[in-house]
Formats: sequence, C-alpha cells, structure tokens
Amino acid sequence: MKNILYILLFFFGSLTAQNEKVFDQANALYNEGEFAEAIDRYEVILNTDKHSAALYFNIANAHYKLNHIAPSIYYYEKALALKPKDKDIKNNMAFANNMRIDAIENLPEVGLIRFVNKVTNSFSFNTWSKIAVVLVVFFVLFYLFYYFTHATGKKRFYFVSSVFSIVFACIALAITFYNYSGVKKLKPAIVFAQESQVKIEPNLRSDEAFMLHEGTKVQVLDTINSWKKIKLADGKTGWISSNDIKLLNIF
Amino acid sequence: MKHLKHIAILLIILTTSIVGSQVQFQTRVSKKTLGLNERLRVDFSMDKDGDNFKPPSFDGFNVVGGPNQSVSNSWINGKRSFEKTFSYFLAPTRMGSLIIGSASIEIDKQTYKTNTIAITVTKEIQKPKDPNSAIASDNIHLVAEVSNVNPYLNEAITVVYKLYVARNTGVDNWRETDDPEYDDFWSQNINPKGLKIEKGKYKGEDYQYVVLRRTVLYPQKTGKLTIEPLKLDVTATIPTQRRDIFGQRLMSKVNVPVVAGKRNINVKPLPELGKPSDFSGAVGDFKFNLSTSKSELNANESMQAKVTVSGNGNLKLLTLPKLTLPNSLEVYEPEHNENVRTNLNGMQGEISDNYTIVPQYKGKYSIPTISFSYFDLKTETYKRISSNQTIINVLEGPVYGASDNNLITEGTEKQPVTLNNNQFAFIKTKPNFSSKNEQSFFNSKAFWASLLSPLLAIPLAIVFRRKRDQRAGDLVGNRLRKADRLAKKYLGVAKKSLGQKEAFYVALEKALHNYLKAKLNIETSDLSKDKIKVLLLDRQVNEGTVEDFESILENCEMARYTPITTVTMQQDYDKAASTINLIDKQIR
Repeated sequence: MKNILYILLFFFGSLTAQNEKVFDQANALYNEGEFAEAIDRYEVILNTDKHSAALYFNIANAHYKLNHIAPSIYYYEKALALKPKDKDIKNNMAFANNMRIDAIENLPEVGLIRFVNKVTNSFSFNTWSKIAVVLVVFFVLFYLFYYFTHATGKKRFYFVSSVFSIVFACIALAITFYNYSGVKKLKPAIVFAQESQVKIEPNLRSDEAFMLHEGTKVQVLDTINSWKKIKLADGKTGWISSNDIKLLNIF
Repeated sequence: MKHLKHIAILLIILTTSIVGSQVQFQTRVSKKTLGLNERLRVDFSMDKDGDNFKPPSFDGFNVVGGPNQSVSNSWINGKRSFEKTFSYFLAPTRMGSLIIGSASIEIDKQTYKTNTIAITVTKEIQKPKDPNSAIASDNIHLVAEVSNVNPYLNEAITVVYKLYVARNTGVDNWRETDDPEYDDFWSQNINPKGLKIEKGKYKGEDYQYVVLRRTVLYPQKTGKLTIEPLKLDVTATIPTQRRDIFGQRLMSKVNVPVVAGKRNINVKPLPELGKPSDFSGAVGDFKFNLSTSKSELNANESMQAKVTVSGNGNLKLLTLPKLTLPNSLEVYEPEHNENVRTNLNGMQGEISDNYTIVPQYKGKYSIPTISFSYFDLKTETYKRISSNQTIINVLEGPVYGASDNNLITEGTEKQPVTLNNNQFAFIKTKPNFSSKNEQSFFNSKAFWASLLSPLLAIPLAIVFRRKRDQRAGDLVGNRLRKADRLAKKYLGVAKKSLGQKEAFYVALEKALHNYLKAKLNIETSDLSKDKIKVLLLDRQVNEGTVEDFESILENCEMARYTPITTVTMQQDYDKAASTINLIDKQIR
C-alpha cells in the first residue's frame, strides 16, 4: 500500500515537473515573439489534467499579440475565474476588450441588490465557506469558554462573543449558498464567430434580433438543438447558433 | 304748312334717332351648317356696354376657345359707334340639329337676351390634305433604338434617338413638343456635342440621319415598362411640284410632327438563388476596397478609413456597406465622395465613404471585415468581395477603463516620473498548477465535516462536565481513586524495582517515610517507630492499621538480612499500598 502511494507520488511529481518544463519553454518562445509556437506549447499543458490562472493568462497574452480577439478574451475570462483579483489579468483584459466591436453597457444595479452583490462578490463562495467554518469554530470555542468559566464578567463576554460568531457564521453560510447558486446559474460563453446574427427564435428563418461580433461575453440560458438562448449584460436576449460561441465551462 | 312739313321731318328724324339709340344685343354664328370635324365661331355682340354677361350652356358643343372679348369704339363724322363682342369657338360633339341658347346681359339696369340659333351638324367633311406635309412625313422619321429590351433590374440600357431625313429633304429646325419622362427608370441624357450628319439606311433606302439624343436608363422596376415616345415638331423644307423659271423645283417650308414609337422593355428580376444577405442592389462589375491611412498612431490623433467601390455599374444607386468599429474609437460621420461619369456603357468611376477615426485609448483595435456583394452581369451570378481585417495599433495614450485621473494632461512642461501601470503586462512565470478536476471546497465532504464537527464539541463538553460533577458527588469512589493516586505517587519507585530485593526494600522504606512526612509534617530525624505510632494514634488511626504499618517497616529492615522471594516482595508492596490507603482514610 505504502509502495503504491510512493509510486503515485513520484508519478505525479514527475508529471508536474514536466509541465513546468513545458511552461518555461513556452514562456521562452513568447519572449522571443514566437507567439503561435508558444500557444502550441501551452496547449500541451492544457491537454494534461493541469491548469492555472498563469497558464490561461499567458495563452491569452499570446493570442492578444496575434490579434486573435475571441481566444484572448476567452482565456482572460478563464484566468480571471481562477484568480478574480489579479491586477495583471484585469489590466490585459481591458486591452483585449478594446479590440471588441460590440458596446454593451451593464445594467445598473440599485439599492439593496447592489449592496448585497457587492458584499457577496467580495469573495468566492469557496472563501465564504471557509469563513463560515472558521466562524463556527470560534463559536464553539467561545461557547466552551463560557460553559467552563465561573467568573461572571468573563462568562458574559464569552457568551456575547459566541452569539456573535454563530450569527456571523450563519450569514457567511447564507452568502455562500447565495453566491454558489448565482455562480451555478451563470453559463458564460464568448462569441467566437466574427459576426453572428442573433435570432428571435431558434431557427434560421426567424428575424434577426441583433448582431454580435467576436469577443463579446454572453450568458447561456437555454439550449435547443444547435441553438443557444443567450443574454447580454444589458439584458437583451436572443438565440445564437451553438457554433458561433464557446462556453467558458468554469464550473 | 311748309314749316309744318319741316317740323314733321325733324320729328321723324328725332324719333328714328331715338329708336336707333335702342340697345342691340345679338348672336352671330360663322356658319349654320358644319361637319362634325369642323369648328364654329359664335359671337355675342352688343352696341352698349353692359354687365353680368351670361353665356348659354352650349349643349352639344365643346368650348374649344373663348370667351374672347373685343371692344371697338369709333367716331366717324362725329358719330360714335360702339361694339362689344364675346366670341366662342365651339366643336360639335354630335350630329343633328343643335341649338345655341340665348345669352343675357344687363345694360342700364335692363336685361337683354339674344335670339336662339339652330345649327345643323352633318357628318365629317373630308378635308383636302396638304400634299406637302404628307410628303414631309414620308421623308422624315424619328427612331428610338434601345440597346437591350430584356435587361436585368438595374442593368444599364441606352436609348438612342435618331432622326432620319431623306436625301431630298432639308430640316431647318426642330422643337421637342413632348419630352419623355422615364418613369420607373433612373435616366441620364447624354446630349451629343454638335450634330453630325451620318449616312444610314431606313427600311432599305438611303437616308441621312442625326443622333439627336442618347439616354442611359437603369430600370428600377421589374416587369413590362414602356418608354414614352419623343415627339418633335420639325420644320422641314421639301420640294414642291412647282418649278421656277430656271426649271428648279421650288422648295416650301412645312411643319411636320414626328413621333418615335413607344418601346416596351421587359425587365428581368435578379435571380433569388444565391442572393447574398448583404446584397444592396449593386449590378455591374465592381472592385471593393477598405483602406486605412495609418496602422499605428497615438491616441487623439486622427486617421482615415476609406471604403471604396469602383467599377462599372449603377454606382450612383448603390449604398456602401457601413463600417462597424469598436466602441472605444471615436468615429465621425463618413464623408461621401462620388466620382462617376456616365457614358453609353453606363456609369463608371468610384464612390467612397471616408471615415475619420480618432482613437481615445491605447491598445489594439480591429476594423472588422466588411463585405460588398454585387450581381455580375457577365457571369450572371452574385459575387462578394470582403475586405481584410485590419488592426489599428494605438501606441500611446490612456488605457480604456482607467479613471480619468490617469489621463495624461497635455502641455505640462515638467514631466513627473510616474510608475506607468498602463502597460500591457508581461506573462507570468510561476505556473502554480492545480488539477482541473479539483473539487471546490464548498459542498465537499471536508466542508460539511469541518462545519459541523466543531458543533459536536458542545454536547461532548456537556457530557464531560456531567461526568465530572458525578464524580465529585461520589465520595467513596473519590477516596479510592485518591488512595490509588497516593500509592502511585509514593510507591512508584518501589514498584519499578520490584524483584530486586535490596533496592525494593530501600525504596519501600523511603516511600513510607516520605508518606508520613507529607501527612504528618515531621522531619526525618525525629522519625522512630514509637513516635510514628504515637503520632498516628493521635490522628485517630486504627490500631490495627498502625500495627500493619509498623510490621511493614519491620519487614523492610528484616528483609535486608534475610532471603526473600519475589512473591513476598509483591505481598509487602500490596500491603504497603493498602495500609497507606487505610491511614489516609482514617487520618484526621
């Protein structure tokens, strides 16, 4: 049993080492300006089971340098999904977004919803779940202190602390679920076709609702045959051919 | 009597003059019998001016002219004669006897009426033809030649108007009486500069002809369209039958109306098969180009993007494809330029839209491909030309999305050295790989376990505390446990050396002494057996127990000099433990 574990560890270790070697090679190619070759090397890593924000970021950069609009935005989105707070990714993504044609304004959020979204989106649901666990541990500790302490002043302090931590733990848990359900609902995709007609109905003979261009991010709501119902950030919906978009498949 | 005669004559003259001064209002017609194709003149005349003239209703006639008013006023030998006439020209509409009713007028506040006149209208009268005009119309012909009577929609066709004139006839002048309006066509006249007389044949005979006018037409509707005829009024000089004294024929001038026949044109629709979605009606042979003046520039500099269609076809009628540009580029309304000449082959030249683009932010921008589709008349198929995708690279400038504070203010003399964050970041060098199929922590077993397991600590703690309280309440058990602890505490060393006689008994003795010292608070030097006994009894320990204690101490001393088995040692150990327990229980 132990032997097998060692073998597995060794195997994974060597695989990771190999990936890192390929990654370095690809970086060197990028630095020399051979972006297409660099992308090929990066994609070797993607074909293994590994990924990382840095990998997606580098692929996106290489695509940007080659003026591939949609792929670069696609990989920036992927990188951002893994590291939502990375400044480099955000910065370069702004560059890539400049190449886009469609101007889509986000629907403004107001009042309470804006506040709630701001709070819930400050961390990922994974981080929120960890916060909830830590708060539960605090609650238990404070409760035990309260339970075993006899001095009234301390007892009061521990009790109040424990109540606060359980309340916050519940809030954190609620936010986790809220955030998780929100993320689950999203199926973001990037328009890959240079120009795509978005139809009112999922068939070819229906009228055109609007036109989308390469690199625009959409949310997929529904699928019928080879048509996908999409929603833009400004709330417009329509049906687009599945071949024209590529799902981000973040989760 | 003679005087009387004179007076009578004077009176007669006077009265007749009075009678003569009476108003005359009458109708005169030019003829009383006329053919259906002839015209009639009707005059209503009066010798004194009046108002409110009312003409009759002229039943059975069309008024083709009039009313014409004429007034004549003359003084002859001091005598004034006045006449005012209203005249009408009438054309009969039917045969038979027609009546012209009476007209009325008011003169000196009195209404006068004319008499009615009966007119007989007979059937048409054969007019003697003017032989000259007949000859002229035989010798002069206007022909419209159409290049293609079966064109496609928006395909250029030309109509050439030629005036054929026979050799012996001359044309002095012409006037267009009816200019055709080309409804359903886009048309342009190409008037030839100067008239060139050419020789040609008309119906197999030698004629001279002049090209009067060329027109280029682009049909705008499918189906049967007619080109309206061109009508000319030609002043021709033709030879007459008469001759002058030298035997030359006399020429006479005749006005001849000439009409080019109506032409029907059948316009074919463009085929629906394979019609591109972006087809905007261009028919012909075109080239399409999208060019930019710069590919690299700084923000707030301007550049031009030009969309050009050139070639041969309905250039003035087509719409250029619109350029769609990224939203972060400032684009002005395009300037439309046309440089199109129209000749017999249709329109030729180029049209272009010139967009002025001013990028606001740094980065790369793509001008997407735009396509232009047209119908090629040679191959009768649709063709599409797409432009290449071009990239504009904006080298310097603020970054899109950055706050306006970051906008570099222009014209500052001192350049502050600032960290330039607005650069395209380099790739990352640390991979930090993780598995793609990594489970998210949320909803995993570990998550639920770590969330809920701490809560289990609370009931556990409650149970623990209950147990502790219970133990505190159980006195006997507590004592027992305490003795065990005591034995362990003091006899621990002895137990370790169990089996080694010397060491065991030294340890045991020391242990018992230590115990007593701890319990009774006495110094080692004072410790004799008698004193121990007294002290223990003082503290209300049973005598039996005290004796047991003493016997153990004796054993310890004895054992040093006598052989002792391991079993005895064990017995002594147990005894010591139980005695210590007993003492501890009884001691007060």
